[in-house]
Amino acid sequence: MVCFYYFLVSTLRIESRNTLIGHQVTVELKNDLAITGILSSVDQFLNIKLDDIRVVDDTKYPHMMAVKNCFIRGSVVRYVQLPASAVDTALLQDAARREAQTPTTAAAHTMNR
Amino acid sequence: MTEETHTAPVEPAAVEEPLDLVRLSLDERIYVKLRGDRELRGKLHAYDGHLNMVLSEVEETITVVEINEETYEEVIRTQKKTSEMLFVRGDGVILVSPPVRTG
Amino acid sequence: MQSQERSPTEFLNNVIGRPVLVKLNSGVDYRGILSCLDGYMNIALEQTEEWVNGQLKNKYGDAFIRGNNGIKSIL
Repeated sequence: MVCFYYFLVSTLRIESRNTLIGHQVTVELKNDLAITGILSSVDQFLNIKLDDIRVVDDTKYPHMMAVKNCFIRGSVVRYVQLPASAVDTALLQDAARREAQTPTTAAAHTMNR
Repeated sequence: MTEETHTAPVEPAAVEEPLDLVRLSLDERIYVKLRGDRELRGKLHAYDGHLNMVLSEVEETITVVEINEETYEEVIRTQKKTSEMLFVRGDGVILVSPPVRTG
Repeated sequence: MQSQERSPTEFLNNVIGRPVLVKLNSGVDYRGILSCLDGYMNIALEQTEEWVNGQLKNKYGDAFIRGNNGIKSIL
């Protein structure tokens, strides 16, 4: 069951993310705002929920001072800085290689559409 | 385990589709050019079809071109940032280049 | 070149292995040997040169160019 769920929705983005729930990350947005917080959830669009947030440059963005948690639409994210210790790079590489072989992605990349 | 794709039988060239180029760069340091005059150099650990990527030991170079108000000369300023592990959203990616193999 | 190709796909397949010029919307041009491309117009080039405003800015051995980044033309 869990396996099937993984097969359906687990592109590497979700797989890699789920292990990071509860860790502190820094999300840098396309408007240069960077927010540090505890990762609380991620969905398939890479929408992100953060708890206990802190804006990295809070003198530049003082209006964020009172905000304790937030929801970030995935499309506005530029980067997510992760704690290296929480990332299993071998697992990630396996996941990436596996995803590269799935017929769905392969089919989407053929020229004959 | 060999790296064979399950697509139609083509000649055993390593690069059959553009994303193969990225796949072959797994576990290697790569260069990524992003929108907004940003460049990254880091070790590639994962990617997907959107070019979402996870890189480690990343050096980010941001290039800002400023015009000197008096001389109207272009001043190119670069800013460097590092991060130990970085997830990069694919929609900002323009170009990915594997490590230089020749010269 | 303009011999008997009938569709854009066929044209592109005919260009594989040839030197091409890829122009992006940003004004940056890439010259290189076309290795392959896919349905998203992702492009793999060899011996790539990056040209900005008529100046050679960079060289890459291999380069992956993400499609949907405003590829205007492939010559």
